[in-house]
Amino acid sequence: MTMKDYVIRRIIVIIPTFLLITVLTFAFVHLAPGDPLAIMQRRSKLTPEMKEMITRDLGLDQPLQTQYLIWLGRLLRGDLGFSYLEKRPVWELIVVQVPLTLELMLVAETISIIVAVVLGVIAAVKHYSIYDALASLSALLGYSIPDFWLGLIFILIFAVQLKWLPGGEVRTFGVSFPTPFHALFDHLEHLLLPALTLVVVWTAYLFRMVRSAMLEVLTQDYVTTARSKGLKESVVIYKHALRNALLPVVTYVGYSIGFLLSGAVVIEKVFDWTGLGKLMVDRAEVRDFPTLMGLSIVIAIMVLVANLASDIAYAAVDPRIRYD
Amino acid sequence: MNSRQGSEKKNEEVHRPSRATRLFIVWRKLKKSELAVAGMGIVVFMSMLALLAPLIAPNYLASSGRYRYPPSMENVFGTDNYGRDLLSLVIHGARISIYVGVTAVLIELTIGVSIGMIAGYFGGIIDEILMRITDLILTLPTIMMLILILSMFEGAGIDVIIMVMGILGWPFLARVVRSEYLSLREATYVEAARSMGASNWRIIVRHILPNILSVIIVLATMDIPWFILYEATLTFLGFGDPLSSSWGVLLQNGTLYLDSAWWIITFPGLALLVTSLGFNLLGDGLRDALDIKVRE
Repeated sequence: MTMKDYVIRRIIVIIPTFLLITVLTFAFVHLAPGDPLAIMQRRSKLTPEMKEMITRDLGLDQPLQTQYLIWLGRLLRGDLGFSYLEKRPVWELIVVQVPLTLELMLVAETISIIVAVVLGVIAAVKHYSIYDALASLSALLGYSIPDFWLGLIFILIFAVQLKWLPGGEVRTFGVSFPTPFHALFDHLEHLLLPALTLVVVWTAYLFRMVRSAMLEVLTQDYVTTARSKGLKESVVIYKHALRNALLPVVTYVGYSIGFLLSGAVVIEKVFDWTGLGKLMVDRAEVRDFPTLMGLSIVIAIMVLVANLASDIAYAAVDPRIRYD
Repeated sequence: MNSRQGSEKKNEEVHRPSRATRLFIVWRKLKKSELAVAGMGIVVFMSMLALLAPLIAPNYLASSGRYRYPPSMENVFGTDNYGRDLLSLVIHGARISIYVGVTAVLIELTIGVSIGMIAGYFGGIIDEILMRITDLILTLPTIMMLILILSMFEGAGIDVIIMVMGILGWPFLARVVRSEYLSLREATYVEAARSMGASNWRIIVRHILPNILSVIIVLATMDIPWFILYEATLTFLGFGDPLSSSWGVLLQNGTLYLDSAWWIITFPGLALLVTSLGFNLLGDGLRDALDIKVRE
């Protein structure tokens, strides 16, 4: 099988997975004990006319499977639903928030990967040294720390006490900036603390991953062979060992997108970062079910695409992968 | 144990040290690692706090009349915005966190081990279907699913949160258990049991399960801090009972007073960090002492 066939096959496999996600999302909301309409009603005071409109629109008076099919049918035509509380299509609510989430995640992820690979390789090469012990212990600390609490502590120190950085939102509102450069700088200032919070936590995970992958590779026969050929240690480490150690890391990064998004959801809420995570938490507060369901689908698609990309990247870098 | 046949039991005694001896060996290895001992100390300490909370801090909900007082001799952690002693609240928070960690792991174990053993032992189409679902839940953002489900409950109590976390938390465990069964079902002793006419069920529970208990124990220990952190996160985000003394609730409360009362967010968070660190240290130590390499 060629690479092209492999990619096509991987894409086809996504279809049943996607359908399963729609079933799960629908079931989560509709099978839990509690009538969505009644909960929305209690939380956000729907008028009787609105209630009737929602019932008619979503087919709430129909059997569950019909409701699911109505919803799925719209979904496949690109209609994510309508937020009755915001009186706007769900799509409009989501699309403006996507870039901010992507920005936060990309910045934090890139920095984390670089830091984790550098520190992880050094720790593995200097196995059992004091550096390795310290780095591993710090990683364990980063691994155990509640991410949202770390964010709060950063706000407490850098925004409240020292007043160096803004403690929330994505830019300073009500100020006109002389140049776009000033506006960008202002935005980056707001990005710094949430990104730093995620970097601390993610680096801890990735570090543990890189270190153990590297330690394993360093005991392999071909590394011994390379050394016994008289190659320089740096060549052995960077050319022979690191390249192979990075393979599982690539997959891990791709498959951890869901996990990373989980962290981003909470951090966005803590820092008032108006991305998908904050939207999810805010909409959950008012029990805006159409938006919550649409959001789940969009996030699930992002995760599936990331997994697909990592599979393809893995297949492309590792010649040992047989495409089946 | 009683139902086990005499000859089988004798066989086991000849080939391997008794259970007590094995436990002792593990304990001796565990004791060698200072970090593991520290982790165990933290876990024991927090569990004692949790058990004895009603005795140590009986009036934890009573207002002292001093609102948002900084740490002092009477209130070591200070007081919160309702005038309650923060130390007493944090001690009662331990009760909730330990309860959450342990019960959620029990639910996770029940589901994860069952699914893993069935998928791994029987294989085929059952395995295919179960693993598809497992992978799917594993890749989706946990917090997103938790939020979606918990939105369906008006004022979800702690037990609902535990249940939902346990129901969503099993996939990784199931994968590991599955791969253990997958390789052990071909083992010689399983072949022997099969040829002696042991039923599938007996092989799964009596012959294979005891051999992978150590893997399960390590994973369960490592999952406890996850459940504790998730519960705190969810209550912090406003799911669950706003009047409970869960560390997440205390922290959410503290966000309102970031600029005037730093201690309200500092101490419950530290307690959370220490507890989670304790379980992680213990988990890492157990993994090394039992010499386990997690197969996925």
